[in-house]
Amino acid sequence: MAQEVLRLSGISYSYGEGYALKGISFSAAQGESLGILGANGSGKSTLLKIMNGLVFPTSGEMRFAGDILDERTLNGPFQRCFRERTGFVFPEPDVQLFSPTVFDEVAFGPLQLGLPEDEVRRRVAALLDMLGISALKERPPYTLSSGEKKKVAIASVLSTNPDLLLLDEPTNGLDPRTQVWLFELLQGLKDLKKTIIMATHDLSLVGDFCDRVIVIGEDHGIAADDKADKILGDKDLLLKANIIHEHTHRHGDIIHIHSHGPFSIHDEHE
Amino acid sequence: MAEVRLPDWLKEPRGELCPAGKGGTHGFLDKTLMNISAFMRATLSSGAADRPGALQSLSPKARIAGFLFLILAGSLTGSAFMLIGALVITAVAMSLSNVSAASLAKRVAPPLFFTSVIAIPVFFEFITPGAPVFGVSIGGLSLSVTREGAETGLFLILRVGVMVALSSLLLLTTRQADFFSGLKELKVPHLFVTALYMTFRYIFVLLKTAEDAVLARKSRTIATVKLSEAQGWAGSRMALILKRSISYAEEVNMAMISRGFDGRLRTLRAPGMEGRDYIWIFLTLFFLFLSFGV
Repeated sequence: MAQEVLRLSGISYSYGEGYALKGISFSAAQGESLGILGANGSGKSTLLKIMNGLVFPTSGEMRFAGDILDERTLNGPFQRCFRERTGFVFPEPDVQLFSPTVFDEVAFGPLQLGLPEDEVRRRVAALLDMLGISALKERPPYTLSSGEKKKVAIASVLSTNPDLLLLDEPTNGLDPRTQVWLFELLQGLKDLKKTIIMATHDLSLVGDFCDRVIVIGEDHGIAADDKADKILGDKDLLLKANIIHEHTHRHGDIIHIHSHGPFSIHDEHE
Repeated sequence: MAEVRLPDWLKEPRGELCPAGKGGTHGFLDKTLMNISAFMRATLSSGAADRPGALQSLSPKARIAGFLFLILAGSLTGSAFMLIGALVITAVAMSLSNVSAASLAKRVAPPLFFTSVIAIPVFFEFITPGAPVFGVSIGGLSLSVTREGAETGLFLILRVGVMVALSSLLLLTTRQADFFSGLKELKVPHLFVTALYMTFRYIFVLLKTAEDAVLARKSRTIATVKLSEAQGWAGSRMALILKRSISYAEEVNMAMISRGFDGRLRTLRAPGMEGRDYIWIFLTLFFLFLSFGV
């Protein structure tokens, strides 16, 4: 059985009187690819930030590789180990790309973790080459296109060689070609037994890539946790969680009712 | 999901074409913002950093230290000759570093213009008493430009010109990454370096936000807006940008922590000092020494 990487038990997070997350419990094993689905405002991004130790839950417990992860324990050698082994790709690349050049951006993580400079330079060169962005290495990140920014953001996270990769809306704002590139990259990382958890609205990516899917309901709790094909085949569940929606439209004289997304079927005619 | 019903007025087609435009000018607000944005981009860019040249071949640490000595000399000296000397050093360094006079002038001109405007009253007798050189009459009020006032005003303008030219030449010939690693090696407190680093990076993102806000408003503005309304709108946008910059700062901080940042910024070490670095430091230090005596 694969080793457990992350375990969340009864995680809740509140903003004042309202809840962003309520009683979230699940675990993720090494090499697993997990999709988190939910409507806007359901708490997906907050959940990813909690899993990356950037915000801490109001109640509940989280463990990383068996060790308790909270504000108190996240310091010293454990903090370094945790940061080295987890990577977080933010939805907005501009937030993540703060260094003067692409090279410095990719080098940032390994440098903060105290890797030797020769090793940092070697890793950065290899990653830029792998992602086909070596020509951009001296460019300031703010001058890049959205697709290039996303590639640099991913390279900047991969440079620490994380075992657990957290991605928030990874295909957001990407053109179809870059989406395919991202899918192939993620598939390659999955083959290396990396644990990948992504929060997304992109049902086709979830369907093609994820082994398992967790649905966060509009009550901010887990509405479902099951294999991807089972979740994505459950139209009622997806409708209830506001992940897909149904509408009517006309093709000539025929009026259809159907849902949106990759599982949309023109199945109900009137 | 509730059915969307379009109101009838939204369905009415428009038959007639728009009348031909009669030309016009950009609004004051968007023009000002675009100019600020263009100026910031030009000022903060290191356009000549990747060209071969004398300054570019120096280590960042030596380059920054040398320019700091020259700027210090310029601010301490009371002699116009020393300032002219600093200007000559700037011109020689510029030509040896493949920097065009036009690109440097573009950066120096705006601050010099504003300084000149601010310095105008200094030329006149009511601020700087002295021997009148010539008089002007404005609306029945006669004002005299004094010799002492002219000397003080021109000296101020010269001093600002030298300072801006020196700092612009440093920025033009230094990559941002080298600039910050140089500051770190000069033992500038890392909190200051980190704050400066973030300012450089995100000033463009916030300027872009402001530009987009102005353009979005412009695309929906038909009639001329009253000045008071425009001022109110500009004030609300400034507040929004401030709010956004705070939330951006929080997100950026998280992105840095996520990648191992623990409050101490680590960057790649800049190359070590060589013979030419020591010569540059010696020459600029000597110039600083001279400025104490003159």
